[in-house]
Amino acid sequence: MTPTINDLVADLTPVRRLTPAQAWTMTLALTIAAILTIYALFGLRSDVMAGQPAGIVVLRAGALLLLGSAALTAVIAAARPGVGQTSHGWRWALGAALIFPLTSLVIMLAERRLPMAELTSPNGPWCLGISGVSALAIGTALTLWLHRGAPVALNRAGWLVGLAAGSFGAFAYSLHCPSTTIPYVGIWYTLAVGLCALAGRLIVPRFLRW
Amino acid sequence: MKVDGATLARLMALAQDGDSAAYRQVLQTSSEWLSGFFRRRIAPGAVDDLVQETLLSLHAKRASYDPARPFLPWLAAIARYRWVDELRRSYRTSTDELTGNEAFGPGDDELIARISLDRLLARLPIGQIDAIRLVKIEGLSIAEAALRCGQSEPLVKVNIHRGLRRLAALIESE
Repeated sequence: MTPTINDLVADLTPVRRLTPAQAWTMTLALTIAAILTIYALFGLRSDVMAGQPAGIVVLRAGALLLLGSAALTAVIAAARPGVGQTSHGWRWALGAALIFPLTSLVIMLAERRLPMAELTSPNGPWCLGISGVSALAIGTALTLWLHRGAPVALNRAGWLVGLAAGSFGAFAYSLHCPSTTIPYVGIWYTLAVGLCALAGRLIVPRFLRW
Repeated sequence: MKVDGATLARLMALAQDGDSAAYRQVLQTSSEWLSGFFRRRIAPGAVDDLVQETLLSLHAKRASYDPARPFLPWLAAIARYRWVDELRRSYRTSTDELTGNEAFGPGDDELIARISLDRLLARLPIGQIDAIRLVKIEGLSIAEAALRCGQSEPLVKVNIHRGLRRLAALIESE
């Protein structure tokens, strides 16, 4: 039987509103937890521990934080829809982050050779694995939070959850990552974040349908 | 009864806190507005069911409303999501003009124009609009629609399929 207005009113209970602070707190807490876990299991970079990180470490961490923050902002907007309310900042952040793979491409073309050292780096799979596991935790929490909301763009929400989770997960890994070359960032970090975004697109929408 | 957007936002905030009287007014006003919003955009016999489904979604997702923002765009986002969902499933006919703003007070015209379903449909290629209107809204068969709009039957099917996918994507892009 289709519920009437009377039924809905009778079923009314106070609800806890979805707020951006909930999503931010949850994401940052899980990112910090990921960093602490990585620190406990693998250790962090010595320059990071000394408070004097190399320039490339700051650059990649900054790009990942920016991308993750922009994607998370879009996820939050998706949870609380409204016609005419758009959140496209993540596109600019993604464009900025793409500077790493693009620079890698330019370097490769200039040197006329593949970056074999980076392509065959033993750290690469670790980058994917640690970033992916961290992203899994963050993405799962974000998906559960988003499920309470009313996302009307499920595929895009999936991409964004994956992008945000992948960016924060890769950020956590970046504080351990021994590599300091741009091609490494352009290859492995791009792959890690890209795979997380793809996984979000493929997996998350089915948990968001309403 | 006309209720302006600011009042609705306040009532919905009260409803989120459990105020039954405020919630009843929100639901009644939303029900009236949704009836107009969906009229001529879905088969007449399906309007009431779609309104009920949308109210049910409003109820289930009421935590996602932000009282600092206008109520109508939030309701419209939910309504369009349900509408496209319904279009994918249903077929019938209608003739009434779209009104749908009777329940809201002055000052909402620009907002209503922005969220109208016509505006959404108008962003599709003309062939897809024709196919969706004739088959999904007016309830013609594929063959009748093909005759009416001069498209082949396979093209009508393709246009409906692509048009509905495009509608869903348009909702995602706004």
